[in-house]
Amino acid sequence: MGTMYKDTIAAIATAPGNAGIAIIRVSGPDALHIADVVFRHRKIVPSTLPGGRFIHGTVVSPGTQTDLDEVILLVYRDGHSYTREDTVEFQCHGGRISARRVLNAVVDAGARLADPGEFTKRAFLNGRIDLVQAEAVMDIIQAQSDRMANLAVEQLEGRLSNEISNLYDDCLALSADFEAMLDFEVDELPESIRDGVEIKLQFIGDRLQELEATWNEGRLLREGARVVIAGRPNVGKSTLLNTLLGVPRAIVTPTPGTTRDIIEETLVLDGVPIRLYDTAGLRETGCEVEKIGVDRARNVIDRADLILWVMDGSQPVDQEELKLIKSHAGHCLVILNKSDLGTGIQEKDLNVPSIRTSLTQGTGLDALKTAITETLGVSHLDTLHAAISERHHKLLSIALKEIQTAIRTGTSSESHVIVAQHIATCAGLIGQIIGRNYSDNLLDAVFSRFCIGK
Amino acid sequence: MPSSADSASANDKVSVPFPAMNFNYDVIVVGAGHAGSEAALVSARMGAKTALVTIPESHIAAMPCNPSVGGIAKSHLVFELDALGGEIGRNADYTGVQFRVLNTSRGPAVQANRVQCDKKAYSRRMQAIIHDTKNLTLIRDEIVGLSIRKDRITGVRTKSGNELISKCVVLTPGTFVRGRIHVGDWSEPGGGNHTPSADPIGADLEKLGFRMARLKTGTPPRIKKDSIDYSKMERQDGIVPAPFFSWEVRKHAGMFHMEHSDGDQSQKDALFHVEQCISDKSPWIPGSDQMPCYLTRTTERTHAVVHDNLKRSSLYGGFITGTGVRYCPSFEDKVVKFPDKTSHHVFIEPEGRETDLVYPNGISNSLPRDVQADLVHSIPGMETAEIVEWAYAIEYDFVDPTELKASLESKRIEGLFFGGQINGTTGYEEAAALGFMAGVNAAFNAAGKPDLIFDRGEAYIGVMIDDLVTRGVKEPYRMFTSRAERRLILRQDNARYRMFEHARTIGVVDPEMIKQTERYEIEIDDEIARLHKVREGGVPLRNILAGPLKKYSDMPSHVVLDKEVIEQIEIRIKYDGYIQQELREARRVRAMDHVIIPDDLDYWVLNGLKHESKEVLSKIRPQNIGQASRISGIRPSDIALLHVHIEQRRRMKEGTR
Repeated sequence: MGTMYKDTIAAIATAPGNAGIAIIRVSGPDALHIADVVFRHRKIVPSTLPGGRFIHGTVVSPGTQTDLDEVILLVYRDGHSYTREDTVEFQCHGGRISARRVLNAVVDAGARLADPGEFTKRAFLNGRIDLVQAEAVMDIIQAQSDRMANLAVEQLEGRLSNEISNLYDDCLALSADFEAMLDFEVDELPESIRDGVEIKLQFIGDRLQELEATWNEGRLLREGARVVIAGRPNVGKSTLLNTLLGVPRAIVTPTPGTTRDIIEETLVLDGVPIRLYDTAGLRETGCEVEKIGVDRARNVIDRADLILWVMDGSQPVDQEELKLIKSHAGHCLVILNKSDLGTGIQEKDLNVPSIRTSLTQGTGLDALKTAITETLGVSHLDTLHAAISERHHKLLSIALKEIQTAIRTGTSSESHVIVAQHIATCAGLIGQIIGRNYSDNLLDAVFSRFCIGK
Repeated sequence: MPSSADSASANDKVSVPFPAMNFNYDVIVVGAGHAGSEAALVSARMGAKTALVTIPESHIAAMPCNPSVGGIAKSHLVFELDALGGEIGRNADYTGVQFRVLNTSRGPAVQANRVQCDKKAYSRRMQAIIHDTKNLTLIRDEIVGLSIRKDRITGVRTKSGNELISKCVVLTPGTFVRGRIHVGDWSEPGGGNHTPSADPIGADLEKLGFRMARLKTGTPPRIKKDSIDYSKMERQDGIVPAPFFSWEVRKHAGMFHMEHSDGDQSQKDALFHVEQCISDKSPWIPGSDQMPCYLTRTTERTHAVVHDNLKRSSLYGGFITGTGVRYCPSFEDKVVKFPDKTSHHVFIEPEGRETDLVYPNGISNSLPRDVQADLVHSIPGMETAEIVEWAYAIEYDFVDPTELKASLESKRIEGLFFGGQINGTTGYEEAAALGFMAGVNAAFNAAGKPDLIFDRGEAYIGVMIDDLVTRGVKEPYRMFTSRAERRLILRQDNARYRMFEHARTIGVVDPEMIKQTERYEIEIDDEIARLHKVREGGVPLRNILAGPLKKYSDMPSHVVLDKEVIEQIEIRIKYDGYIQQELREARRVRAMDHVIIPDDLDYWVLNGLKHESKEVLSKIRPQNIGQASRISGIRPSDIALLHVHIEQRRRMKEGTR
């Protein structure tokens, strides 16, 4: 069953939003092999499992082997899946970040992103779906691709589109150089054609990397950055929330453990939408309600784009807490509050970025706001610029990989064809984003650049 | 194989002068250029009773432009044709006067052979081969119309008033359909090579509804060999021993070298009677006595001459409407479009041993004669050169190749095939490949057998035909390696392995070659397997050989194998990762090529397709999903919809759910 497709497709099967779990579905002949590559369990290798089974384990990055998320893996075999192909599903933590990481890993391991409605299409073509439903299948394909097109148009306004166009043109020009060197005799070409090829490759690689990075920023802009206020009880977390919002949203009392559930609010900081979460102070507690609050806090902290870790700066440093902070290094900003009460913790003890404030006195606030946007990496952002879709992001990151492989392969004449192939693939991928057809454009690029042919 | 109405008579080999009665043929080929010759030869060799219609016999496989065969990407076509049983490779090898290998430093995928041929010997050899081929009748006449009944071809009508009846017709009229020659502001109808154009066929095709348009090409003046001062030029020699295209000549050459060192004269004579017997089929020992080319450059004065007289050029004076070839630009184009370049190469290439003309490659133009003379005389070494034939541009009709199926049969008229320049291509090699495939499929069609189609992942021929029938042409189409997505598996060195099954299907190659290919393939596999197994210092030999600059002869243990086998082992091991990846990709794409779109599908009633997609799909009418996906502007979602629709239709027809 389901052997007509030779390639394996993958997509996030759950709707975007803040659901508890997200599902990544992988379907096709290599599905189980891909699971073997990205999924780790103490004993079990996914491809040895019979159909209809699930196991709990970890998804790792195929390259670096670092852990990405804890997941439940479901295995479908022998035509019992939705598409009637071998299928695996990863159930990971909700939210886009976790799901995207798993999807990336799966694509890195050899799957390709599914086209709109492709799972349903396969289900139909493999006989899973009734003939009566064929029209509905076509509607699904149609609707999904329209939505994608609209999204793409919206997202590709202004500078971003220009930038990708420029990048495409540069990549096409470089590709034309390489192709001309393959398709024409050396004596027909200008000697300068070989000049700076490595630099040009590097330049394209750098810009692709930058663009890829803006995707992350773009997501922050679209969905709002998740900024979580965390710390021990009674250090001023809720005061920080109220101060940033400019309104007394959270109840503030001198009693530790006042905040039990998570408070979520949105605000815009320097043009960046932020979803701010105030959490229960982290401590061991016998109170059942507070315990649930602490668990939820931990959960939110794990998925944060930025953690504002509030500490009482007038107290000496707590090594346990410091360990916790360091485990979040990279997206954690420490706020040494209560500076009006004296200095206990020294910045140098921390080894993570920190800001000294007195929230009750209102000092250090401006520095804090700047630090937030800077740490999020969006301070220099112009909002039109940075919004690209997941699909575009995927195309860009594959394009980036192609260029990096080209750079690694080197530009000796023996490897020329291989490098040319990578550049061509890269140009083709970038072209897809802006709706340009590489095979239509290549020869134009060659003949507009060189006077060749006898 | 196709049966002939009356059994093939001895008469077949003789030209039939104005026959008073109608003949029956399986396949009639119209035009005997590079496409027509291949079409007629393969069709006849496959057993189809074949007629080849041409006006003057001397025009068989004529080379009205540069008398060279091969070059980058074109060489790949020639190797593929040779592996399938085409004639072009042998013809070039036997009549070549200079042999070269291009792109040697860029790896095996883009390496290419190029042969400078003796144009008279080239044509004469092809004539001799045609005369000696069974089932093939040469008819000297002109075709004035096609006979059609119920959208099926039934034959052709000739100028002498005959109607020739056949099951299939292959049209290979080259640049002759409504051809028009331009020299400056002067122009007249003509098909090039001083022959009249073929206009009635053009009118007939138009009446039948074929979409047609005009293209333009050109050729440089021809110079008297002895009127050039070669001391001012750089000499370029061919390489020895000569690299050959064809299996046949390679086989003889291999024996020759072996025997040569052996010194046994009697055995050598026995083996080399073909080469030693000077005939039209083998005018000299292939590769022997090569002739040099010379390189010179245009000067600032050359460019000034063109600038000052631009308005008098056919091209820039507004006398030509057809689209020209960008990669074979006329000299006016080079000067106008690249003003920064103050000098261009000119290669003085021999046209053959008997002729006293040379071909100055690089100065094709459509300037008036007096300007041409100034232009030529401004080039170092040609100050007093004598121009014997003038440069000209030629405009001609071509038929939009999206009118054709991948078999090269027209979608409008069953049994009517097109091959060569009429399909919008340029180059002898492209023409030969198209003619060959049209001939193969016409012969199969006449015999009621299925089409033979190559996909993009297995042959340059497949890439070219798919490009033509899927995307159409806006300018004369030339083969480039960049048109092939999978260059690392489409190499010229492995053409015989790639084409093996197809060669067997067609059935016209030397059985000895088939046997040898089979044997080689086994030897290659066995040796690669051994290299995987045997280790040196714990490392498999295969991995050592995969390293840079490593050769098979460096291996601590090796087997005695033919040079060609060793070359395959080295390439396959060195590029293994890439080759595997391309093979996977090729398989993936191939799956889509196997989903056939019904001929009668009405795109307009298909819900969900964008209007533009319906329009372009209705025009091109792709034969399968893979082809549809390669049409410019068609989106993945269109293909998904199409696929679901086809499956829906199929299940409804089958009455299953």
